[in-house]
Amino acid sequence: MTVAAATALRANPDRNFRYWLLTPAIFLLLLVGLFPLFYSLVVSFMRIDMMDTDTSFAGLYNYANMFKDKRLWAALGHTLLITVIALPIELLLGLAMAYLFLEKLPGRQIFISLLVLPTIISPIVAGATWRLLFDNRYGPINQVLGWFAGHPVTALWTINPHLVYPAIIFCEIWQWTPFMFLILLAALSNVDKSQTEAAAIDGAGFFRTFRRIVLPAIWPVMAIAILIRGLDLARIFDIIWALTSGGPGTMTETISVYTYAQGFKQFETSYTAAIAFLVIVILTIVVTWAIRRMGLAK
Amino acid sequence: MSSLPFHRRKNVRLTLRYFLACMLVLIFVFPVYWLFIISFKTPDEIFAFPPVWYPKSIQFSNYMVLFKDGDAETVLNSLILATASTFIAMILGTIAAYSLVRFKTGGENLAVWIISQRMMPPVAIVFPVFLLYVFFGWVDTFFGLILLYTAFNLPYVIWMMRGYIEDIPLELEESALVDGCSRWAVLWKVVMPMARSGLFATAVFTFVFAWNEFLFALVLTRTEVTTYTVQVTHYFGGQSNFWAKIAAMSVLGTIPVFFAVATMQRYLVRGISMGAVKG
Amino acid sequence: MVTRRDLGKIGLAAGFAGTFTRPAWAESAADIAVKAAQQYKGQTITIVWEAGLQSLDPLNFSGPKWKELTGIDVKVVEAPIAEMFTKIMQDFKSGAGAYDALNVVPAWMPDLVNAGALEVLDPFVDKYGFRDELQKIAPTYRDNQMMVNGKIYGFPDDGDVFVMYYRTDVLGDPALQAAFKAKLGYDLPVPPTTWKEFDEVGAFITEFTGGKTYGAGFFRESGYANFTFQERFRNEGGKFFDGETMKATINTDAGVKVFTDWLAENKFAPPGVEQWGFVENLAAFLQGQTAMTVSWPPYGRWAAGYGTDQEVMSWVPKSTIAGKVGYAMPPGGHPELAAGFCLSVSSTSKNKEAAYLFIQWLNSEAVSLERVKLPYALRDPFRDSHFTDPGYAALWPEAKDYLAALQAGANNGLLDLSLLQTDKYEEVLRQSVSKLWAGEDPKAILDTAAGEWDAITEKIGVDKQKAIYADWASKSGAYPKM
Repeated sequence: MTVAAATALRANPDRNFRYWLLTPAIFLLLLVGLFPLFYSLVVSFMRIDMMDTDTSFAGLYNYANMFKDKRLWAALGHTLLITVIALPIELLLGLAMAYLFLEKLPGRQIFISLLVLPTIISPIVAGATWRLLFDNRYGPINQVLGWFAGHPVTALWTINPHLVYPAIIFCEIWQWTPFMFLILLAALSNVDKSQTEAAAIDGAGFFRTFRRIVLPAIWPVMAIAILIRGLDLARIFDIIWALTSGGPGTMTETISVYTYAQGFKQFETSYTAAIAFLVIVILTIVVTWAIRRMGLAK
Repeated sequence: MSSLPFHRRKNVRLTLRYFLACMLVLIFVFPVYWLFIISFKTPDEIFAFPPVWYPKSIQFSNYMVLFKDGDAETVLNSLILATASTFIAMILGTIAAYSLVRFKTGGENLAVWIISQRMMPPVAIVFPVFLLYVFFGWVDTFFGLILLYTAFNLPYVIWMMRGYIEDIPLELEESALVDGCSRWAVLWKVVMPMARSGLFATAVFTFVFAWNEFLFALVLTRTEVTTYTVQVTHYFGGQSNFWAKIAAMSVLGTIPVFFAVATMQRYLVRGISMGAVKG
Repeated sequence: MVTRRDLGKIGLAAGFAGTFTRPAWAESAADIAVKAAQQYKGQTITIVWEAGLQSLDPLNFSGPKWKELTGIDVKVVEAPIAEMFTKIMQDFKSGAGAYDALNVVPAWMPDLVNAGALEVLDPFVDKYGFRDELQKIAPTYRDNQMMVNGKIYGFPDDGDVFVMYYRTDVLGDPALQAAFKAKLGYDLPVPPTTWKEFDEVGAFITEFTGGKTYGAGFFRESGYANFTFQERFRNEGGKFFDGETMKATINTDAGVKVFTDWLAENKFAPPGVEQWGFVENLAAFLQGQTAMTVSWPPYGRWAAGYGTDQEVMSWVPKSTIAGKVGYAMPPGGHPELAAGFCLSVSSTSKNKEAAYLFIQWLNSEAVSLERVKLPYALRDPFRDSHFTDPGYAALWPEAKDYLAALQAGANNGLLDLSLLQTDKYEEVLRQSVSKLWAGEDPKAILDTAAGEWDAITEKIGVDKQKAIYADWASKSGAYPKM
């Protein structure tokens, strides 16, 4: 880079350019996000619930209760379990699919459009549909299993404690792998072909090329996709609510399912606010660590 | 395999890829297929034992009912909300992302703060947002929901476009600047076109997130701005399940997005080598 | 093709015809309401209603009719049943005051009243002379679902009660009856009146037909099982709490018996019955797969084919059993008044009087009769006059027996448990049921549940809850004499 070009880029005339770019977005985020955050913080130090609107300062009452709440920590554990299992599978499967469709294929357009369908369907409807698909009597899944087994199969996917997690995770992967797929496809298609071709000519195998050339190129996008997907998995709700409502018992209750019951139906306003902050703190720590680890802050 | 002549290898590869593609479509599309055919099934076929894999006859009466009763209007509502908020979020978010990437504005802290908006469990903030909206009189308005969805999607757009923009070589912008382009021109004429595939991929999901959003649409609307997701949940009752309507509505709700994805795909995959630029 | 709107017009016409058949000297509550509402001409009142089939009533029939009579616009805010309470509470707590009239499930009333969200209706009732017609609501609804702490907060508007439906052709089959008597030593009861009889009959039917027809189907899914548990538990003599100490007593033998009996029944029900909700159970029954079941009133109407040829009812599987269905009290003789709806006025409404007049009109003798006869209605008969209406009894051949069963239920019904924070207690019950299907031990589950109930009570305040519970338990439908 020439000195002239370098200075041109960092020149002063549009010093405020970078701020102008950011202002509208930040303004919107503050407008909608500031009050709820502030409200939640204030309310978490009170004891507001359905019956009482006691706005006196209650100190760390809610936070203390949180630590004693076994159901809360179980919910966090369930959320972690689902995230840790589903995320890598979605990533790898999405990547594999992206590779599959990277080069020309007759009808590729149709394939890709069809494959994105699971993500487009409303999660609530998807949950209800899967519920019907898994139904022992009226759903095709047990019917097909019965064909393979040679006799009718009774598998209660939404009730049997051994089957609920596989069912949930399968539906989750089904719905969101296309997300990874599409994003990675866009990223892979930006990779400089001349480099990969040169490597192929030099005799480098697939994995070598991937590790040395492709991965570094798509890493910014891939890391962010992992981050976004991870955060969304932490808030997973619709599929679980539709299939099991957090059951059996509270076995599949994730943090969103738990706060839904507490906050949305039972109006434990203060307690839910405190939980929300706990979640934010945990996720902020995780995200900050992840950003450093994944080298997104350069 | 290496003993085969090159073009034969290529054909085997193609066939294999085709086979895999079909398998994938089968698995991913089957539940959607099941949902779609429900819109043509009679209730006895929906609750048939053993399950029935295709309807006896294809009739569109379920769809006609949706149009006659005005339920289909909610699809239009959702379309307006999602399109408007996607459009605004994409513009504001991409330029913000550019600022973050090229000028490191606000550093890491700002970036983390932006993504932290996506960490809040929605249930926890739905009530304060409702209070805010009551205060401003934005409940049950298009404006209110567009504002909300834009704000919700900004963190996603900003972060995703960060990644795609980082992919774009700095030299391109520099040479444009040296050529005398203004900053804005560089942004619109150089960066945006280069980020086309990223823009498309991000826009699809920004749209989908706004399109499928349920909780806030439920709380923040009453009668004027019913979205398609809220309308669909009306079909699930304690003592009724309008499966045909659920399915037909879902088909209607999926068609716009499906076609958008299908027709704009060429922006997604850029097969052109960047060799011209490097040279 | 007949659409929703057309139906509305038909219903409107029918309704108009109905209004002119009363004696001219009696000024009915409906007339009073209409007259008094004239002063609010041109205004709009907003009412919250359950979305889906339920809301067709105000959208196609009562709303337009009210507009015609008084010039008041009725705006219907539809909400899925699971979210209705939340929307009402949120609107109240935010002070938005967007809703005027409400549909409220009776079990929610203590919470709503305690929060201050419902308007006391007594002054209006006296002002507009509604006491007489209120008295004519069937006893169990009237005495149990209308008041909290002695004040009127809602008008019972829906006769939701559990009825036992059985296949007269299956249970009446001579070959089956003979084999039953031979094996078990007593005449096959048509229908069974105790759960012991029910279980024996049910198991026998499944065995006799080799699984072609199952003895019974149920909705075992936890959300619905919450109601069936409350019913059966009390029929077995169980009490929810010790009135003195407010300790939960659901883990007594009665509770364990219910759970254990359920597990035994599932064996003769179709496999996978644990997942069944309202519609799955309905489909199985209408298609002739199950011989007996317990459910809400719509099953009876739809099994007979009443209303199911309507467009909006096209989601109901075709009934293959019309004319072959008998109606009776569920075993035990005390059916649950499961869920149900009351009409109320929001305390933050800006049009309280107009809202009140609308609900008085809706709930009045004349109008409510039309409403429960609508072919697409989900509102079930709840007034004494409904049960004896000749028009209703003429709707299908067995309708008379159907109404008799509903009326018996209305006289013997059990009120849903309604306390402060009822949802928390119900949540524990729902989770207990799902644990039962997961295979855990009934006693252990119920012990845990009782412990959780006690923790909830403590958090709310034992004395506070004790008072509410005492009010609930004093009602005739709480713990009737067995």
